[in-house]
Amino acid sequence: MHEYLRNPLTYAWALLMAITLVSWTLGRGHGAEYHLSTAITVGVLGMSMFKALLVIAYFMEVRLAPVWLKRTTYGWAAALLASLLTAYFLGAG
Amino acid sequence: MMSSSSALAPGRAGNPRARYLPGEAGMWFFILGDLLIFGLYFIAYMVYRGQDSALFLHSQQQLNQSIGVINTLVLLTSSWCLALGTEAARDGKTAHALRLFGATVAIGGLFPFLKLLEWGPKLAAGHTAGENLFFMFYYVMTGLHLCHVLLGLVIIGFMIRHLRRNPLPDVKFLEAGAIYWHMVDLLWLVLFALFYLMR
Repeated sequence: MHEYLRNPLTYAWALLMAITLVSWTLGRGHGAEYHLSTAITVGVLGMSMFKALLVIAYFMEVRLAPVWLKRTTYGWAAALLASLLTAYFLGAG
Repeated sequence: MMSSSSALAPGRAGNPRARYLPGEAGMWFFILGDLLIFGLYFIAYMVYRGQDSALFLHSQQQLNQSIGVINTLVLLTSSWCLALGTEAARDGKTAHALRLFGATVAIGGLFPFLKLLEWGPKLAAGHTAGENLFFMFYYVMTGLHLCHVLLGLVIIGFMIRHLRRNPLPDVKFLEAGAIYWHMVDLLWLVLFALFYLMR
């Protein structure tokens, strides 16, 4: 069991779990407190894309993969975040 | 039994700096295609959301955020078990790998169950896909994702069978199956942010 605890995959998993709880705390709410918020949106989308990168790099092992795969997968996450934020701000404007 | 990764992952064992393609190229092209298609759905959702953000925000409040976060933790934990299991299989630790693959199915199997628990009350309350654009996107995208989850569980079942039957497992096959499950996890992370958390 201790070998799992020292594994980088476990560190990545712990970080993923922690960021999930932080983003949930940030985004949760009900009733009057539930309003449009650019700060919350940018925060939760940024955290979700960081989590996506952790999954790609560690669980999918892309950190050890050829450069073409790194560029494609990391690029997907970066392009998606940029596109989502652009669409969000265009819609808000 | 092959006891180290030397014969199974030559790129890493021979030269730690060498690049290693986990799984098979064919699986990666499928994954990249799926990521592209879901990415376009995500962007379309955001564009339509911008046209009526008040409606989307109001509809979003009807979702159960607690089930959303629990399902996220469930998928992350199942992915962690599968990644550890894949590593164990590569190192020839078949018994460890089988235990971890079993844990992946047990934990990942909670996702469809929780999803039905989430959908049931929504549908009973009249929140169907026809109610508005938000719920149309919600049911179509989480439904498509659920299909991916179910297929992923079947694939992990095949991985377990393969590992049980073969003393020298095809590690590329196991890696390819694991990558598919991690993609399912990855897509959910974005769905969770878009449908449950963003404002």
